[in-house]
Amino acid sequence: MITRVRILIVEDDAALASGIARILEGEGHAVDVMAKGEQAVLGARQERFDMMILDVGLPGIDGFEVLRRLRAAGDRTPVLVLTARDALDDRIHGLDLGADDYMAKPFAMPELAARVRALVRRSQAQTGPKIVHGPLVLDTLARRAQLVGAPLDLAAREWAVLEVLLARVEKIVSKEAIIQAVANWGEELTPNAIEVYVSRLRAKLEPAGVKIRTVRGFGYMLEEYREKKAGQ
Amino acid sequence: MDVGIALSERIRSSGEEVAFDLPGAAEQVLRTDKYDTIYYHLRKPDGSALAGDPGLPPVPKGLVPEDGVIAYDGVYRGQPIRAIALLVPCGGQICTVQVAETTNKRRKLARNIVLSSLVPELLITLATLALVWFGVKRGLAPLEDLSNEIRARSARDLRPIDPGHAPEEAAPLVGALNQLFGQVAEASSNQQRFLANAAHQLRTPLAGLQAHTEIALAQSETSLAQGMPEDIRAQLEQMHRATIRTARLANQLLALARSEPGGYRADAFAPINLRAVVEEVADEWVHRALAKEIDLGFELAAVQIQGDAVLLREALGNLIHNALEYSSPSGRVTVRTGMRNDHPFLEVEDDGPGIPPAEREQVLERFYRVNGTAGTGSGLGLSIVREIAAAHRAQIDIGSGEGARGCKVGLTFPHG
Repeated sequence: MITRVRILIVEDDAALASGIARILEGEGHAVDVMAKGEQAVLGARQERFDMMILDVGLPGIDGFEVLRRLRAAGDRTPVLVLTARDALDDRIHGLDLGADDYMAKPFAMPELAARVRALVRRSQAQTGPKIVHGPLVLDTLARRAQLVGAPLDLAAREWAVLEVLLARVEKIVSKEAIIQAVANWGEELTPNAIEVYVSRLRAKLEPAGVKIRTVRGFGYMLEEYREKKAGQ
Repeated sequence: MDVGIALSERIRSSGEEVAFDLPGAAEQVLRTDKYDTIYYHLRKPDGSALAGDPGLPPVPKGLVPEDGVIAYDGVYRGQPIRAIALLVPCGGQICTVQVAETTNKRRKLARNIVLSSLVPELLITLATLALVWFGVKRGLAPLEDLSNEIRARSARDLRPIDPGHAPEEAAPLVGALNQLFGQVAEASSNQQRFLANAAHQLRTPLAGLQAHTEIALAQSETSLAQGMPEDIRAQLEQMHRATIRTARLANQLLALARSEPGGYRADAFAPINLRAVVEEVADEWVHRALAKEIDLGFELAAVQIQGDAVLLREALGNLIHNALEYSSPSGRVTVRTGMRNDHPFLEVEDDGPGIPPAEREQVLERFYRVNGTAGTGSGLGLSIVREIAAAHRAQIDIGSGEGARGCKVGLTFPHG
C-alpha cells in the first residue's frame, strides 16, 4: 500500500492551496505549502519531497522556471503541474521541462487526489522491484505474482500485459500500445490475441476486486483499486 | 493619256478641214490591252464625230481642264469606264480627243493596293492587340493573384503577404496591407494575452471555491451522522453544482472568445491528426463516462487536417460533454474520426433523447437550450463548436444516431 508521503504544494492562491492541502492531508499525506517560486526551489533543495504540485502562474519566477531549475539541479521529484491556461503549448512546454503530469484549473478534487496517488505509486514502483496494486503484488525480480496473499499463476504473456496496464493505472492503454510492449521482435500479434490475454487476466483478478475496463474501440484501463468499505 | 497624246498627233488639219488618219494596225495596237478595253473618240470643234466610238459619254459640264486634260468617270456599254479628254488645237480651233478604258485594271489595281496594304495592316493590328492583351494580362496577373490570395483568406488569416509574389508596382500596396495585417495580428495577440490572464484570474479562485465546497461536502457526510441538518447538506450540494457550472461557463466564454475571428492566429494552424486529438483527451472523458456508467467508445481512423489542436479539443470536449450529459445512465456514446466521401470528419453519437429536427438550427445559437431538457448546460456548447468549425472551414451537421435514435453531431473538414 502507499506509505505516508511528503508533498510540496507551490500555489500562490491561498484558498486553492489550503483546499488542496486539506484534501491531501485527508488522504493521509504530509503537506507543505509555499506561495513563491524562489521559495520552492530552495525548499526542494533543503528537504526531500515525494512529489510536488506546482502552479505555473506564480509571482516572481513562474512554475516552468521552478521546474527547469529543479531538473537542471538533477532533482527527479515527480511534479504535477497546475495551470489556469489550457493552451496545449503550456502542457507540452511543461512536459518537455520534465513535468510528470498536468492539470488545468479548475479541477475536481477526487481527480487531483487520484493523479497524486498515481504519481506517488509510479515513483515508488521505480524505486523497488515490487509493484503493488491493492491485493495484487508483482515481484518483478523474482517474477512471482501474489493475489490476496496467495500465489497467482500468470503465463508470460499475461504477465507482460498486466505489467503494461499496471504502469498506467487509471489511464487508457491502447491495444496497439499493448501489442508494441508485449510482442517479441519480428512477431505479429493481433488485437484479438490481446483480447484473449485480457479476458484471462480478468477471470483471475476480478474475484479479488481488481478491474480491467474495456474502452470500446480503443483499449483497456486498469481501474484504481478501491477497498471495499467496512461493513460491505 | 499616252493613247490620247498619240491620237492627237494623228489629227491633221488644213484650214477649216480637219482629218484623222490612223492606220488599222496602229489602232489595233492602241486598243490592245490585257485586261481592259480601250475606247477613243475624236470630236471636231463643232462637236461632230471625227473618228472612234461616237457613243462615249461626253465630258460633263463644269469640269475645268487641268494641264489641258479633263479626267472623269462614266458608263459605256454597261461597264464603268475612266475617261480623259484632251483639248487639242486643230485648224486654229479646239478638237476634243476622248480616250476611255474600262476600269477592270484599275479596280484590280485598287483591290491589289487595298489588299496589299490592308491585310498586313490588319495582321499588324491583330498582332498588336494580341500583344497588348497578353502584356496587360501578364502585367496584371500578379495583381490578380494577389487579389485572389487576399480573397481566399479567412478573417483569421493574418499572415503577411509575401512581397516576392507581388509585382513591383504593387509593392507599396502590399507593404500597406502587411502593415495593417500586422496591426490586426498585434491587436489579436494582445486580446489573446488578455484572455490568458483573464482565464488565470478567473480559474484559480474558482478552483479554490470548488476545492472548499468539495471538502465541505465530504465532511458533511460525517457531520450528517453527528446531527447536522439535512438542508445544510442540500445547500452545500447546490453550492457545489453552481461552482462547477460557473467554472464551466467561464471556460466556455473564454473558448468562445478564443474561437472567434481575431481570437487566435490562423498561422497557428498546423497539420493535426484528428485521431491523436481524440486519443489525447480520451482518458479524461472515459473517467467521466464511467462515473455515469455510460459506455464511451471510439471508432478512430488516423486522418490529417490543418487545424488548431486547442480549438479542436475544445470542440470535441463540448460534443462529448453534451453526449454524456444527455445520455441516460448505461447509455452508449461513440466518437468517430476518419475519411468519409473524401473528407476528414469527426463525429460524436449518443443514444439520448436527440434534438428535434425543428430545433437543429437553433441549438447552434448562443444560449439556446432544447425545450424540456433537464441538463445544466449554458446553451453555449454547440455555438462554440460552430465557431470552431467555421475557423476550420468545416461543415457542422446535426442528425439522429443509429436507428433514428439519439443525436449525432459531426464536423466535416475540407480536403486534408
